[in-house]
Amino acid sequence: MTTILFLALLLAYACGMLLPLCFPSRPHIQNVIAHGSASVACSLGIALGLIGLLASEPLVWFWSSSIPLLTFSLRLDSLSAFFVLTISLVGLAVSVFASGYVQEFYGRIPVSLLGFLYNGFLLSMLLVVTADNAFFFLIVWELMSLLSYFLVVSEHEKPDVRFAGLFYLIMTHVGTAFILVTFLMFYQETGSFAFEAFRSADQALPEGLRTLVFWTALIGFGTKAGIVPLHVWLPYAHPAAPSHVSALMSGVMIKTAIYGLLRVYFDFLGGPFPWWWGFVVLLVGTVSALLGVMYALMEHDLKSLLAFHSVENIGIILLGIGTGMVFYAYDMPHLAALGIIAGLYHTINHAVFKALLFMGAGSLLYATHTRNMEEYGGLLRRMPWTGLFFLIGAVSISALPPTNGFVSEWLVFQGLFLSLELPSLFLKLMLPIAAALLALTGALALACFVKAFGISFLALPRSPHARKAQEVPVPMRVGMGILAGLCLVLGLAPAVVVPLLDRVSEPFAGISIAGRMFEMGGWTLAPVSGEFSSLSTPVLAIILVGLTGLGWGLAYVLGGKGKTRFYKTWGCGLNVTARMEYTATGFVQPIKRVFSTIYQPTVKLETEFLEESHYFAKQRHFEFSIEPIFLKYLYHPILKFFSTLADRSRVIQGGNLSLYLAYIFVTLVVLLVVMG
Amino acid sequence: MPTLPVNIGSYLVNLCSALLLLTCFAIVAQRRLMACVDLFALQSGFLAVTATLVAYLTGIHHIYLAAILTIAIKAIILPRILKKIVRQLNVQREVSMYVNIPTGLLICGGLVILAFFITQPIVHLGFLLTQDSLAIALAIVLIGFFIMVSRQKAVTQVIGFLVMENGLFLAATAAAYGMPLMVELGIFFDVLVAGLIVGIYTHQIQETFGSVDTSRMKALKE
Amino acid sequence: MSAIDFLLIILQMFLVLGLSPLIVGVIRRVKAHMQCRHGANVFQPYSDLAKLFRKEPVISTTASWIFPATPYILFSSTLAASLLVPTIIAPMPLNFAGNIIALVYLLALGTFFLMLAGLDSGSAFGGMGSSREAIVASLTEPALILSLFAVALTAGSANISAIVYKTAILQGIVLDPPPHLMALVALFIITLAETGRVPVDNPATHLELTMIHEAMILEYSGRYLALVEWAAGMKLMIFLTLLVNIFAPWGIATTLSPSALGLGVLVFVGKVVGLAVVIGVFECMFAKLRLFRVTELLGAAFILSLLALVFFYILRV
Repeated sequence: MTTILFLALLLAYACGMLLPLCFPSRPHIQNVIAHGSASVACSLGIALGLIGLLASEPLVWFWSSSIPLLTFSLRLDSLSAFFVLTISLVGLAVSVFASGYVQEFYGRIPVSLLGFLYNGFLLSMLLVVTADNAFFFLIVWELMSLLSYFLVVSEHEKPDVRFAGLFYLIMTHVGTAFILVTFLMFYQETGSFAFEAFRSADQALPEGLRTLVFWTALIGFGTKAGIVPLHVWLPYAHPAAPSHVSALMSGVMIKTAIYGLLRVYFDFLGGPFPWWWGFVVLLVGTVSALLGVMYALMEHDLKSLLAFHSVENIGIILLGIGTGMVFYAYDMPHLAALGIIAGLYHTINHAVFKALLFMGAGSLLYATHTRNMEEYGGLLRRMPWTGLFFLIGAVSISALPPTNGFVSEWLVFQGLFLSLELPSLFLKLMLPIAAALLALTGALALACFVKAFGISFLALPRSPHARKAQEVPVPMRVGMGILAGLCLVLGLAPAVVVPLLDRVSEPFAGISIAGRMFEMGGWTLAPVSGEFSSLSTPVLAIILVGLTGLGWGLAYVLGGKGKTRFYKTWGCGLNVTARMEYTATGFVQPIKRVFSTIYQPTVKLETEFLEESHYFAKQRHFEFSIEPIFLKYLYHPILKFFSTLADRSRVIQGGNLSLYLAYIFVTLVVLLVVMG
Repeated sequence: MPTLPVNIGSYLVNLCSALLLLTCFAIVAQRRLMACVDLFALQSGFLAVTATLVAYLTGIHHIYLAAILTIAIKAIILPRILKKIVRQLNVQREVSMYVNIPTGLLICGGLVILAFFITQPIVHLGFLLTQDSLAIALAIVLIGFFIMVSRQKAVTQVIGFLVMENGLFLAATAAAYGMPLMVELGIFFDVLVAGLIVGIYTHQIQETFGSVDTSRMKALKE
Repeated sequence: MSAIDFLLIILQMFLVLGLSPLIVGVIRRVKAHMQCRHGANVFQPYSDLAKLFRKEPVISTTASWIFPATPYILFSSTLAASLLVPTIIAPMPLNFAGNIIALVYLLALGTFFLMLAGLDSGSAFGGMGSSREAIVASLTEPALILSLFAVALTAGSANISAIVYKTAILQGIVLDPPPHLMALVALFIITLAETGRVPVDNPATHLELTMIHEAMILEYSGRYLALVEWAAGMKLMIFLTLLVNIFAPWGIATTLSPSALGLGVLVFVGKVVGLAVVIGVFECMFAKLRLFRVTELLGAAFILSLLALVFFYILRV
């Protein structure tokens, strides 16, 4: 049964990849086939994910190949199933959206090619999270990276897109190299590439090697996830891709790295690990969350802003997982499970709202043909549905009750607060500080999305593009609507979600806590005990709705029906125009100033005065930029070092053929001597 | 013997030490020199109360004397001298600092945590009653030092020095239930003399450089 | 949930709704006295609200549906937050619905929409108010969560009702002065910042150099303004309640007897009005800080809450 399902899924992706190629120069048919099959495949993926989550035993598929060491073995345990579910849920909505969005590219980019890459990309992500053999994993991982690279550079006629693509390609390969090293270390110890062997080898690895594996996995997967300071490629690459691909990259691709981390740390390494592993992950998470949101605030390109928020949210996910690791290290399985569940919950939540927001940004791009927020404005009246869905996404990512972002951030907070159970004084102090920084992150994210929504959708249009904007086609709205609905469902139904996540964390923490997480018949989420803290989003939602009604009723009772007058905004005697409005730059000015230590802003103001008097300015030129500290202090020195190295090593390039032959000869001799 | 239960007594000692630490933070957050001096006087007052409490709880009588001297010298005489200097020099506030105030506060918060971790292994050796005050005392010393480092005006640097001295006195009271009487008297005398000397010294700086900004003293290099 | 629980929730709701304009009136009256003015009657805010409800509202033609929807969202989220805070009885029946984090984020929900509404009218004042509110809110939130957590530690629970209840019956580690003292000072500063009181914001001015909250709501009129003002009063009341009931809950009803409840109401009103007087006096003693000096104040609040935490863990007698 499941095998048939799985084969059907593969078939659907294959159709999506290959069939459009049979209809050359019929973009509309190509579009429908490619995204239709992707939708079907994703629906099958959802079913597969659910079955995998609910199954008691992992599902295994196995095909051997003639290539040594490589077997196409797939394994769908609860962790894989969760990620399959996440990828497919988001994939479904994005595919529906894409069928509308791709119309934008008719005639510019071959839609069949786009569809091929898109379906392949989705499939490669599914295989990454189900692969059960290191060799096979690396192949599909590389495939995923390459396909996403090709998607990033779909609009390769633009130079900045090419730069973003190259940057992405380099960074992702650095990451892959580290993952390769990780797996080779396992291979060296176990003599096999099968994950099964890694898993059973948990105690076989010597202590030093385990530490090394911890670091290489963190760097390797961290590069893909976009943790600070390895995040630098992300804000370039994600916005450069077509918006539906950005939604997938930011929403789910970076989550495959979270999958990898969980797989390596909890599944392969397992066993008791030192507490500082968890602390390092926590530290990385906190720094990523804070810096991610801070740079997002300064960004006025809507898609770059969202990309930086991915860095932030990966940080929050790592905060949850890091808490879990700390508790795991101290052998407190209940709390470890809580941390992992919080991290996973935020993983699916972030996938949902980030994809939603990227689709919203795509819709704005579709309607206005610009990504610059300062040229939007007044779009809520012109694009009411897009606006509503974007608002739901913004409320969710700002973690406001009763949406999904709130529930998962709340769980992360609980994990951090329960540090009071830890024996180590140092961690007892550090975890609440991380919680405070998470609160700062949350508040800044809120400010950022007030900016993103307020400047883009409210007040007057700031450019002719925005004035002429129209609501996007129905498929795009449906795609966004699915995820907007999911944001609310995931927020209101932790009673459904948490037991599913518990099945994922159970094998790692060794204990199932779903039974202890709920009180009052599932209405209240109460991790560990309701005595410590509890939350009930459904009740909060009911209260909120009821009290809104009360407010309306009060206004009616106390004020009568009354009528409302509509009049233009008071502009101190002038007519209010878009030029008088607060800009995105102006909005974040106080934040920029307060955190100037981090931003290192440079402001250049040049004034040209009238010749007659120095009291009147003829024109002014204002320029401001912020210094990305990691580029300046980390990457540029590294680049410089390597280019110097390359310059030096040019000496060996003599250009003479015999010289090259001599090199080969010497190498051969040396090898013979060494090996002999 | 004290009639107060030891438990409540140590609560009170802890509370007073906490207040001492709080005033330190207030000094770090304060730009106006007059207010800094006032805060220092307040801190010395809290110190005296702590000393009195310890004296009462342990029944060691010469700590009372130290408390009285603290009030007299640190809460009354020295602040007066300092205020006089401030008034004479006519510098009202610290305009520029090496570290801005929120960062300074954060650093001090870090110093407190550091102090707690440093003293953690030794508090168990101390007396039950006041062992926690030792960490606070160390924190106060560190913050005093930080004030000296981060400020530019000579007067605030002096206050930093005096805060350090307060911290040391608290440490002595907390860890050892006070030093021998002669040593304490000597220290008080030293502090008083230091206060006077510093008064003259700041006056000299003012006359030479036209400012009590010690960063100007770089000019002496040439 | 039993009928009595339901009645208690309704009672608390009307208490908050009914008492919050009085608190605003008391603070105004105290300030007037301090400034040698006669000042309006303490019940003036009720008349103001009644008048505003009857007035015809004007809505900007530039604004979208966010603008008229915001007052209702703000009103309901603030009132919902107030139901999580025990006033006259602890534990509150709605105790289970959310802890300190839920309280903070419910308030943030209102702020979020208010900031949007500030931007919606297209006026520069609104944008300015939103922008300033963004930075103040960003800096208070971490301090607020940390200070509430420090108090939560002493009670061993992050539910507000549990904190208040345990302090009221002197259970747990409640008798630990340093953490409480530091958290109290921090929470007091946060209260001033969150409710737009003097060192941070001036509720009595419409000068563009100084206003934060007033700038955001400048375009509101009629029943919308009434709801916003009422919500602001309730927010003030929530913070005053937190201050009095977390740090001095004695007198609050811990059982369901009518006498205890009656006493609870009396003590609560007395305490909150008393604290309002303190805030009024405090406002008159200080000048408003420049916006970029507010960070120093809020930084201090953050450090204090951090110290409260440090003290909790380290000063174990």
